[in-house]
Amino acid sequence: MPFKARKERTMTWKKKIVIGLGVGILLGGAAYWYIMNEKFEDTATTESAYTVNAIDLIDMFQSADSAANAKYSEQIITVNGRISEIEAADTTVNVKFINANSGSYVIFDFQSKDVAAAKALQVGDSVSIKGSCSGSIYSQLRRAHMISFKRSTLLKKF
Amino acid sequence: MKKTILFLAMIAFSGALFAQTKKTTSATVGFDATTTLDALPKAENKTVIAEIDTKTGQIGFEAAVKNFAFTNPTIQEHFNEERWLSSDKYPAFTFMGKINDVTKYNFSKNGVYNVTVTGQMTIKDKTNIVTTPATIEVKSGAMIATANFSIVLADYGVQVGNSGKIAAEPKITVSAELK
Repeated sequence: MPFKARKERTMTWKKKIVIGLGVGILLGGAAYWYIMNEKFEDTATTESAYTVNAIDLIDMFQSADSAANAKYSEQIITVNGRISEIEAADTTVNVKFINANSGSYVIFDFQSKDVAAAKALQVGDSVSIKGSCSGSIYSQLRRAHMISFKRSTLLKKF
Repeated sequence: MKKTILFLAMIAFSGALFAQTKKTTSATVGFDATTTLDALPKAENKTVIAEIDTKTGQIGFEAAVKNFAFTNPTIQEHFNEERWLSSDKYPAFTFMGKINDVTKYNFSKNGVYNVTVTGQMTIKDKTNIVTTPATIEVKSGAMIATANFSIVLADYGVQVGNSGKIAAEPKITVSAELK
């Protein structure tokens, strides 16, 4: 093979490697940028996987917590019920539905943009709340199941 | 008759104000494993169960691992996966301890008390002794407890690697209003 043709062929390979590396770095950088800047979507605009009654939800976790955890954990769920308790601090407010017989409860903390609306709620209000279910734990201190939700939003007060 | 009812109501009210065990299901625990290379491994759990027995000084905290809320979905997923906190297998963090020298403090009086707490922290089924200073403010029958300390993740079987993007000793902040 003449020297010039061999040189051109080497150059073509070098070019391909450089372009391949460049594309790889760009794709890797884009993926890294995407992951680093990714945020959770607003719960209010995310579709619910399930809609359930609060007391029924507690019963499901009490009777078969493994199955209920597998079904509901990390899902966006709408829960309807009558507020049993509200615990508020300076910048936060949590709403609870409690099974009066067992003491087991569902508790919701709210997205920062929904805290003001949640703070206006009162015990006894019938509401619809949507949030990301974190599943349940059995509390040794309370001797009851706690089913917790994060990033919740108040959908409706009936 | 009216006086008796009023007297009984006052006893009941003062009993509620100074009940021996103060409780909440809405304590906040912050987890901060950020480094100069990565500001994302940081989360808060606002539904932590907490109890303080003002007489014996017994303290208890329980948190659902999955209810630590991160701003970034991928980091939250990593936090819960098997090589990190393995939250499906070990769904709760617990701290069971005691206020040291509890008889030194009169929690029935309003005031700010600087205490030291020692207890057993259990994460991923591994238990270590933690001692930390804490502040307890007593105000109108309620107790506002705060504490800041660090934990060594390797002590709980969590390996963070050498990338420098996750602090090996994250800061833990605790804030609870107990009634």
